[in-house]
Amino acid sequence: MTDTNTPENNKDRKNPLLSRRDFLIIAGATAGAAALSQVVIAGPLSPDAVQGIERHTGASKAYEWRMGINLDRCIGCEYCLWACQAVNDVPRDEMRWNVGFPERTAGGTDFFMTRPCLHCAEAPCVKVCPVGATWIREDGIVAMDYDRCIGCRYCEVACPYDARRFNWDVVDDENKRVPTWGTPEVERRPRGVVEKCTFCVHRIDRGLEHGLMPGVDAAATPACVNICPVGARVFGDANDPESPISVFLRENETFRLREDYGTEPKVHYVSPSRAAEM
Amino acid sequence: MTTLTATNQTGHKRLRAWHVWIGALLAMLAVGLWGAYMTLRYGLTVTNLTDQVPWGLWITHDLSAIALGAGAFTFSAVVYLLRLEQFKPVARIAVFIGFLGYSSAMLALAMDIGRPDRFWHPLVYWNVHSVLWEITWCVILYFTILTVEFIPTLVDSPRFDNRPRIRRLGHALHKFAPVAAVLGLGLSLLHQSSLGATYGVLSGRAIWFKPSLPVMFIISAVAGGTALTLLATLLVEKLTHQEPISANLKRAMARTTGFSLAAYMYLKIWDWAATSYYANSPGTADALARLEATSPYQSTFWWIEVLLAGVIPMIILLSARLRRDDRLLVLACGLTVAGVVVNRWNVTLSGLVAPPQWSPGTQGGTIVAAYYPSLVEIAVSLGILGYALLAFTLGAKYLPLFPKEKAAADEGEVEVIEAVGAD
Repeated sequence: MTDTNTPENNKDRKNPLLSRRDFLIIAGATAGAAALSQVVIAGPLSPDAVQGIERHTGASKAYEWRMGINLDRCIGCEYCLWACQAVNDVPRDEMRWNVGFPERTAGGTDFFMTRPCLHCAEAPCVKVCPVGATWIREDGIVAMDYDRCIGCRYCEVACPYDARRFNWDVVDDENKRVPTWGTPEVERRPRGVVEKCTFCVHRIDRGLEHGLMPGVDAAATPACVNICPVGARVFGDANDPESPISVFLRENETFRLREDYGTEPKVHYVSPSRAAEM
Repeated sequence: MTTLTATNQTGHKRLRAWHVWIGALLAMLAVGLWGAYMTLRYGLTVTNLTDQVPWGLWITHDLSAIALGAGAFTFSAVVYLLRLEQFKPVARIAVFIGFLGYSSAMLALAMDIGRPDRFWHPLVYWNVHSVLWEITWCVILYFTILTVEFIPTLVDSPRFDNRPRIRRLGHALHKFAPVAAVLGLGLSLLHQSSLGATYGVLSGRAIWFKPSLPVMFIISAVAGGTALTLLATLLVEKLTHQEPISANLKRAMARTTGFSLAAYMYLKIWDWAATSYYANSPGTADALARLEATSPYQSTFWWIEVLLAGVIPMIILLSARLRRDDRLLVLACGLTVAGVVVNRWNVTLSGLVAPPQWSPGTQGGTIVAAYYPSLVEIAVSLGILGYALLAFTLGAKYLPLFPKEKAAADEGEVEVIEAVGAD
């Protein structure tokens, strides 16, 4: 992999002059457009459509979905967290599928860490589920079947990345991220089951059905990727050398979280630049 | 005249103690029913569990009850496979305790899973890669075997005196005792170890990820299970003023428990030495440091698990002189049983309270979590404990748990072997 991640390039990319208000306008417009296109192609999702996350349907070995997160480019606006909450209807901040928090490198550089589900190729959560309610699709997405989950929470215990959330009670809270950051595209999960980030699998499956390419066409791309005002998140098919994610992986030096666990995550990070210098 | 009065007084005293005891157990059951109602009505939000510590008191209860029920498979195997017939008189009480342990565990699990209405899913939807799937199957099958093994005791109670056909049918089941012992041994070895593997296979949690956990779980279960069987037998003896088993058998059981405990302690010390003392595995060291800073894990490990519930009872049980004292035996068995419970709590909580660090930075990503059970969790656990104690009390009073009394141990073997139909 070539490292074009030189200090000069990074300085150019950073744009601290953009105000928060500007971001809000840009992001709002993006979210609105994304939400609208979703409604147009998909229409309201019926409960059956939610289970369009059926085993292996819509999933083909031809694709391998991966995500890239450029921590150096990220400005910590948190829009990705909010768009995810709106689109996947996660009203409570403590149940976020996509988490983010201020961080500091060992060298003292501040950055903003975000983390969706990493969709590990060797997912510990998938191995331990006693009923096979979570599984790896042909396209690499770690999916959940809320109708099969018995709520034993072994997957939460097994996941080393704290990526899973349990419905401790009925979540009937108002979703304050709606409609500013998007509109819910999936049903809320019932009490007593585990949930997590799906890479917006409903968008991927619907998008492909309609001839759209996830990672390229917004309507088929995860909400967190679409909303990012600085393009810190990219998504796409790693099998296609020209996809945004393949280009991202080729042009950046990337790492994955805790590779020593042998979990083979499918989310790749670019370090905050000055950390690399340290 | 004086004698009669004295008898009456003790009689009254005993009657009063009995009523107080039963009353206390019924109160525990009532508290447990309230807890169960709260849990089913409002969901697991009534617990203090979180996404960081999703397992707590009920999982500890479940693991402990299964471990302490291990006397059943141990003594079944010893009697029907190793043919050590001198242990035969405790086979029934061991099976009874196993039955109560496994039913307690299933009650705790039914409360703990988020969708108790889907308890049957592991039977229909298989994931053979999951140790928890295997455990579920083993526990259900083994509970069936325990029920079959328990039926002869049930039909021998005076209630079935007028129903000879049912009694004959019940005894016919006894013919399968050796088969049940083989199956029970296999299933128990599998799931008792797998319960340790539940934690031991998780590569992301350094403090758990080690091959010793499955082995330590089964050996500590044998020690705890035989200790509880002996403890219960001794208590029945003290409270009923009968001698259900011979002094020799008591000593033999004490020795068995002592050797299991010694084997467990040997493994436990090497487990610690290999992961923490001679080697400095970074993940384990980091987790232990965080536990040390935020919880009494280290002190409970050394003072309770190793010293109080390990070394001390081991010395009592293995010393021919000390184990002759019944009070010391009760103490040693009680400590061993308590040690298993503390161990299951420590194992479960240690990996959750000090979760792995996954953020590339230095500040976030690692939460040192905390957990103590909520009132509802304690209530449900009290209720399940109350169920087990009440069932045991009634069983000890009304069921022929020691069928041949002392005679069986000393001379009744011929008859027993015939009944087994093994020859």
